Amino acid sequence: MEKASENYDPQVLARISSLKISAMNLVDGLLTGQHRSRHKGSSVEFAEYKDYSPGDEIRHIDWKVAGKTDKYHVKQFEQSTNLKCTILLDASGSMAYPSPNDNKESKFDYACNLVAGLSYLFLKQFDAVGLTIFNDQVIQHIPPRSKASHLQHILHGLSNISVEGITRVDDVLAGLAERLQGRSMLILISDFLTRDQNIQKSLKLLSSRGLEVILFQVLHPDELNLPFEGDTVFESLEDDPMVGLDPADIREEYQKTIQDQIDQLRNTSNGLGIDYILMDTSTPLQQALSYYLLKRKSLIKP
Amino acid sequence: MSLNFSSPFFLFGLLGISIPILIHLLTRRQQKHVRFSAVYLLFQSQKRSIKKSKPNRLLLLFLRCLGIALFSLALANPFFSLGSSEAFRNNSPSSYVFIFDDSFSMRSQVKEKNLFDLATQFLSKLLKQVPEGSEFSLVLASRPARIDQGWISQKGSFEKLVQNMRPSFQTTDIGHSLEKAANLLKTAKFKSKKLILLTDLDKNGWDKGIFSEIDPLPPIPLQVFNFSTLSLKQNQVAVESVQTHQEFLARSRILKIKTKIKNLSKENQRFPVSLILDNKSEKEVLLDIQAGQTISRDFSIQLRKGDPVHGQIKAGDDVLPVDSRRFFSHHPDQNIKVLVVDGDPGAVSHQSESFYLERALNPFSVSVSHIDPTISTLAELPLRKLSDFSVVILANVREFPIDYELELEDFVLRGGALIFGMGDQIDAKYYNEKLGNLLPVTLEAIQNIDKTHLLFKNIKHPVMQAFSAKAIEEMKDIPFKAIYTIQARNKKKFNVANWFTNKNPAVIETGMGKGKIVVFLSSLDRAWNDFPIQPTFLPWIQRWTQYAARGLENISYQNLLVGETYQQNNDEGRWVVQTPGGNLYQATTQDGKTTLTETLDPGIYSVFKIPEDYLQETITKLPLGSQPAGTFTVNVDTKESSPQKISEEDIKAFLPDLKVSIKNPNLIDSPLPSSEGKELATPLLLLVAGILLLEGWTVRRE
Repeated sequence: MEKASENYDPQVLARISSLKISAMNLVDGLLTGQHRSRHKGSSVEFAEYKDYSPGDEIRHIDWKVAGKTDKYHVKQFEQSTNLKCTILLDASGSMAYPSPNDNKESKFDYACNLVAGLSYLFLKQFDAVGLTIFNDQVIQHIPPRSKASHLQHILHGLSNISVEGITRVDDVLAGLAERLQGRSMLILISDFLTRDQNIQKSLKLLSSRGLEVILFQVLHPDELNLPFEGDTVFESLEDDPMVGLDPADIREEYQKTIQDQIDQLRNTSNGLGIDYILMDTSTPLQQALSYYLLKRKSLIKP
Repeated sequence: MSLNFSSPFFLFGLLGISIPILIHLLTRRQQKHVRFSAVYLLFQSQKRSIKKSKPNRLLLLFLRCLGIALFSLALANPFFSLGSSEAFRNNSPSSYVFIFDDSFSMRSQVKEKNLFDLATQFLSKLLKQVPEGSEFSLVLASRPARIDQGWISQKGSFEKLVQNMRPSFQTTDIGHSLEKAANLLKTAKFKSKKLILLTDLDKNGWDKGIFSEIDPLPPIPLQVFNFSTLSLKQNQVAVESVQTHQEFLARSRILKIKTKIKNLSKENQRFPVSLILDNKSEKEVLLDIQAGQTISRDFSIQLRKGDPVHGQIKAGDDVLPVDSRRFFSHHPDQNIKVLVVDGDPGAVSHQSESFYLERALNPFSVSVSHIDPTISTLAELPLRKLSDFSVVILANVREFPIDYELELEDFVLRGGALIFGMGDQIDAKYYNEKLGNLLPVTLEAIQNIDKTHLLFKNIKHPVMQAFSAKAIEEMKDIPFKAIYTIQARNKKKFNVANWFTNKNPAVIETGMGKGKIVVFLSSLDRAWNDFPIQPTFLPWIQRWTQYAARGLENISYQNLLVGETYQQNNDEGRWVVQTPGGNLYQATTQDGKTTLTETLDPGIYSVFKIPEDYLQETITKLPLGSQPAGTFTVNVDTKESSPQKISEEDIKAFLPDLKVSIKNPNLIDSPLPSSEGKELATPLLLLVAGILLLEGWTVRRE
């Protein structure tokens, strides 16, 4: 009953609807059908020839070419869709950062729009998409489905989450790696603002299991620039103690520190063949998403 | 243990601490609370920033407050002491005794001023810092040490007194001045007593003898300001003495001026020495004198008949000109007044001693021999005033009126000369009993002999040296028929000037006090010899008279040191002394002596006798008809000239009970010394400087 009442909470419904509208706006404006997989497979659409090697199906040998060249070539076809994508969304306290300087949406809201947009995009292409929301543990898990109506589940899952707790990306990733099938896609959306240094290890594990991993690091401009002035007491959104200081005194050092952390994450990702996208909440989501799609497109041969 | 402040007014400066606090509070921004995501990154950044730069506003505030507080404290001039606080508190009224060295060594030149001027200037500055309500007194340390000003509370009057002080020409006497100061402190009003000595630390002023004589000084702190450190150069040369000498026996008109010059420096030097007569340089020589040595030099000048000679010897040109010149005065050819007492006046004039003596002493007129004899009988003797005469010749006097021998003794002691001549009237017993003090010998008996002569062998006596060989030969032939034999008295010294050939003394002489006694052991008439009718008798008796009278002459032309009393043995009439500065002082007469104590400036003093009809009490101008009655000179005591300074150790040895501290006077800024307690102003200021540096460094880091 409780769940049912939650389902019909007008605020939740309004949020779902707004997410849906923003996701549709976001995706419909972009190039459709461009979301291709890196994985090659059999399909009706010919892709290329390949030298025959034992184990290849004989039915795929192009006998015409064998007749002409006296060599066995196997036809390869572009494999499309039937991609299974799991989106991991960080819902720890730090994601709830609302800027005191403006009334814009929080990082989490921004991330939700991103999730909605991506889910809509996947489902529109008949790919299966699931959602796992976590902080120090998994809060909610929606398994991947390719039904169009599945978007509704995802949006609902996004709408009634309380953003709190500490970030434990590595624990969650270690748990997930076991469950996710190979050759599926994992999109991790987080601010990666955690003291944990094991995130590299977890990424390595995911990468070694043949998962295609995409990292979206969502940061607020305040977190990048520390633009505060005057003596300020900073209260943590997670479990760190308060600190009182004049931000001007440490601004330079802070900027350097966070940049170091970003660079480290980017370098690690590049080293593991993981896509890494830094999302600044001041950047319009559409712009960020289209940049990502373009980049993906450039990876795949036409 | 206590902490006191000499200028507590500056403690109000502590309120200045509120300024940085106020600024800190006003500029402190309101603390905002912000919920933030990457707090752990802030921690990391903060940790790194501390290593690099971490401005601490509270530290800055603390430093600024401390700086202002310490600066205020430093201005308030704090003193820290382990003793009782009242004794040294600078701001409480105190009793100050200033001992001021006004001796002539303080006249040492320093550029255009002298040490004395600098010391008065310094004292005036000190007085400005003395707390209101204090009392002061001033002791002058030149000899004789004296209290110039007893306790006085009016600072203005005291300052005026200090500014009007003049340096003296006397030597230093620190011992007695400390004694006077200690006596003053006994009557001091305040419990806090301060003893401050301003001196050049001339060693001459610290006489061990005096310090052993004076009463032990109370254990009070003594602050000494050493002004000798301000002298740029040392005293170089001093004229130690000047004596005039006229070769009277040879009737010479040459005056010899004998001077002694001392090189006070530590180097051999050549000094120009000049003889100045009537303000004109008469002669000048260059003298090479070794370091620390004294050499003599004679100047000879031709005397003009009868004119007195006044002048000075001047040596070199140094920072202390006072002792580089010395005055002298000489009166040539003064008539010697001689009283001839004839003990056996004969009915026939040529049978009297006085007949021969009068003619021998004054054969023609006064102008030739400069001897003015007066003949007196024994009966007239009490009527005569001995002080009118320089020489008394007692020829064959049997005995004197009752107690007259005492007058004779007094006469000789004061510089008179007695010449005894023997004869048959002499009562040897009376002479031996009554004249024991005058005669160094006892008369034995008359020795009648066939013939004896004066013996001239190795004659070195100054009287006899003037005679020519021919005259000596003539004198040798004079026969003597009777002489008095003598016996030396115990412990009496005398000199035999001439012997007879029969080995008896002919002339003996002895000194007594300032005078001289000469005894001729034969008669001064023809009763016992033929000497009076010989041509050599005339110069012989004249020269003995002149020789004997020298003692008195020396006294009449006195050469005094500054501060010594002028005395003359004449109390008749009124006498006035004109000082070198032109001031007139009336001499006081008492007990048959005329005295003057105002001999405070070196130079030549002139003595005048005021006409008897001049009746005014005070004399401001020399009255008409005043008779010049001679001169005397006053010179500085060159003991004070020595540039030697007493060391701090020696001072502490002299004053074991006193807490002595010696400082160099700082004329620009002269804080009143605290007698006790440690000054904290300087360390505090240094601390303030350090804090300012630290503050600046911290701000620069921010």
